[in-house]
Parts: sequence; structure tokens; C-alpha cells
Amino acid sequence: MQVPAPLDAMVQAIRRDADVISARQMGRALAEDLGFSRPDQALVATAISELARNIVVYADHGEIELTTLQQGDRQGIRIIARDHGPGIADLERALCDGFSTGNSLGLGLPGTRRIMDEFDIRSPPGEGVTIIAVKWQLR
Amino acid sequence: MREVISSSLSDSEGKPEFDQDLVDAMRWFDLSDHDRALTSELGDIADDVGERIIEAFYTHLLADETASRHFRDDAHIAQVKKGQMRYFRELINADLDSSYIADRRRIGSIHERTGVTPTLYIGAYAFYLNKLANVVLDRMEDDPAKAFSMVLSLFKIAHFDMALALETYADTREEAIKARERELSELPTPVLQLRPGLLLIPVVGTLDSYRARALTIQLLEGIQEHRARAVVLDITGVAAVDSAVANHLIQTMAAARLMGAQPVLTGLSAEVAQSLVKVGVTAEALSTAGDLQRGIELAEHLLGE
Ligand SMILES: Nc1ncnc2c1ncn2[C@@H]1O[C@H](COP(=O)(O)OP(=O)(O)OP(=O)(O)O)[C@@H](O)[C@H]1O
Ligand SMILES: [Mg+2]
Repeated sequence: MQVPAPLDAMVQAIRRDADVISARQMGRALAEDLGFSRPDQALVATAISELARNIVVYADHGEIELTTLQQGDRQGIRIIARDHGPGIADLERALCDGFSTGNSLGLGLPGTRRIMDEFDIRSPPGEGVTIIAVKWQLR
Repeated sequence: MREVISSSLSDSEGKPEFDQDLVDAMRWFDLSDHDRALTSELGDIADDVGERIIEAFYTHLLADETASRHFRDDAHIAQVKKGQMRYFRELINADLDSSYIADRRRIGSIHERTGVTPTLYIGAYAFYLNKLANVVLDRMEDDPAKAFSMVLSLFKIAHFDMALALETYADTREEAIKARERELSELPTPVLQLRPGLLLIPVVGTLDSYRARALTIQLLEGIQEHRARAVVLDITGVAAVDSAVANHLIQTMAAARLMGAQPVLTGLSAEVAQSLVKVGVTAEALSTAGDLQRGIELAEHLLGE
């Protein structure tokens, strides 16, 4: 019985705050391995932190998956944040600076969109939230 | 039992010589060379039917909503199936040595990390063994007695596998809880009085919502107890700052102001500050004073000295 889970992709189940830290560390280590600049390592770590924290707070549990991308001679990191929680009914509003149903700053999603090069968010009714964000290495 | 198996893992890291712990563990499962020899005879059958069993296995997994979540797309499934074929061959005839144990144990920690629960794992394994056992009994119609002992041997090895994976699963979980407890035990954060009216609070570890609440309470109690008029919150030792943590800090600082003490935040690293600004946390909201030295100077200035 092999694991019914990806072996090569880096996956971290997100269930509690400690998992947010693990995912974040995994992302920072990967960014460092790929030779991302220190500020970019921090950006990748912050984006993971935002998405993972949202999972814990709003969806209870989900996962963060990291993949290395290659495009020509530059590399990138793709973060997929996935949960099967209540989902987000109004995506546009959730992406506005300052919108929060959790009495927080409401900057996690818009901020992540700003610091990443690519950002895609989906929340089909009843299927939770899937966010795909990519950061490319500067050349 | 745990000691037996986990120490056999640590031994596996390099020296392949005789391993007493492994011998003990196998004795406990009543696993012998005889079992291995028996299942190895299934080698031909395995090559022949392996793929079919694995297909059936994945059809079963993918039909289940919880289990299927662990697969992304067809390419991913294809890749995992390949790994499964290797696992299948090993189940039937790999040497039960230290590296086998290390491999099986690794599975448990991957399961913990990726959220594959014991129910999902054992249930899937049971389905898998059931299919396999039926194939063996079918193929060996002529010698049902032997087929039966082969299946029993397979079951022993499978249980050995599951025990190894679940031990690591539990160990990994325990590690996570311990790490969490260590972090929590770092509380209470000390509240240091630098001089009358001036407090320093070095915050360390991770600032999740639980710890942030504790920090706020401590800060407020400290202000009251020492009649402080300025507080330096030093977060040099905070592992990670994102918008939620920034929000906790802003709230904490606002609470200090309400209690009549001027808060000063120090110790935000350049990179963290930069990413916070990009996220959109404004510098004013988190008015910081650079390093601890500057922070204390600023606080003293605020005290009017
Ligand atoms: N995974 C999710 N599932 C359900 N709702 C979500 C999820 N992530 C975000 N949301 C909703 O989108 C809103 C905006 O999220 P965002 O991360 O931008 O802000 P926040 O979490 O409220 O505050 P901050 O991240 O600044 O601490 C949240 O308040 C919540 O209502
Ligand atoms: Mg958020």
C-alpha cells in the first residue's frame, strides 16, 4: 500500500497554526535552494503564510502544495492552496484591501496577489477555495 | 515495540550489518525467511496481475471523495501508480532489511504531513490485500493449501508494513505536538522593567492568535503593575510576520495606548518589513523604531527624558 498522495510535490496538510509555520519554512527552504534573493524568499514565505493562515481560520483544514517550475532558464515556485471549506461567495470583494470577515486587516489575499507574479483564485459553489500563485526568479 | 522499530531505523542509516533490533521486530510479527521465500514465489503472478490489481485499487480510491482528494490530475495518478507497482513488488519479494524498514517508516511521516489518516490508509490497504489474496487463491487452484499459506505470509508482511508506517505517523504527530508545547511553554513572555515607567517585552517564537492574545494580556498587566508610560515590544525573535500577525501587533499596540502607555515596536527585519509593506500593511500602522537600541532611545524620548 503506497501513499495515496503525491511523493514528489511538496505537500503540507494545513490543520493548525503549527502547520502554517511548517509550510512557510518549506517554502522558504525551497526558494533558498532555487537561489531566490533573500527578499524574494521572504515574499514566498509570506504568501504561503497568508494562504495557509486563511485555511486554518476560514476553512478549518486544507493543504499547501509547492512545485518547482521551469521556464527557459529561469525557475519559479508555484504555490497551490486548497481547501474544502465554505468557499468565498464574492471573490472580488475578498480581494479588496481591507475586506475581512475575521476582524483582521483584510490584506492576506490582495497582498498575496500583489507580491506574487501570477495569482489565480477559484471558489466554485460547494467546493471550497483553490488558489494558485507563482513567483518567478528574477534574472 | 516502538523502541525496537525506531532504533532499527536509526541503525539503518549507513551500516547494513547484522541488526538485532530488526531481528526482534520480525520475531514479534512471527516473520521468518520462510514467509519471504513463500511470497517470493508469487513473483510471476505479481508481474502478471500487478497492474490489474493496482487499477482496481485506484478505481476504488478515486470513487471515494475523501481519498480522491489526494490526487490532483491524471498525470499525478499515473505517477503514483508507478510508485505503487514498485511497492507491490517489494511487498512480495524485497529483502526485509534495514532499508526496507526505513522506506516503510518514511511512508508514515509522509501520511502525517499530507493528511492521510490511519483509517484511509488501513482501509485502502485492506482493500488491496483482499484483491491480491483473491488473485492468489484463484491462480493456485491446484494447491489451495499452499495458496493459503502464501496469503497468510503476505498478511504478516503487510501488518509489519502498517505497523512501521503507523509508528512513524504517531511519532511525527507527537513531534509536532511537542514542538507546539515547547513554543507555548516559552510563554509567559518576560516583561522587563528597564527603568521606572519603561517596559521591554522581548517576543520570541511564533505569534499565532493564541500567543498574541496571551501577549496582549501580559502587556496590559505589565503596564498596570509597573505604571508604565512606554513599552518597547521587541520582535527580533519572532519567526514569521504576516498580515494576521501584523494585525495582532497593531491590536496589542492600540491596547497599550488605551492603557496610557506609548508602544514602540522594534526588531522587524528588513526583509520582513519589505514584504509587509508589499502586502499592504502601512508603516504608520506598525510604527517601528528599527533595532532595539533605537527603540529604547525613542521610548525614553517619549517619556520626556
Ligand atoms: N480559504 C478561505 N475560505 C473561506 N473564506 C476565505 C478564505 N480565505 C479568505 N477568505 C475570506 O476572504 C476574506 C479576505 O481574506 P484576507 O486573507 O484577504 O483577509 P483576512 O484573512 O480577513 O485578514 P488578514 O489576512 O489581513 O489577517 C476573509 O476575511 C474571509 O472572509
Ligand atoms: Mg488572511
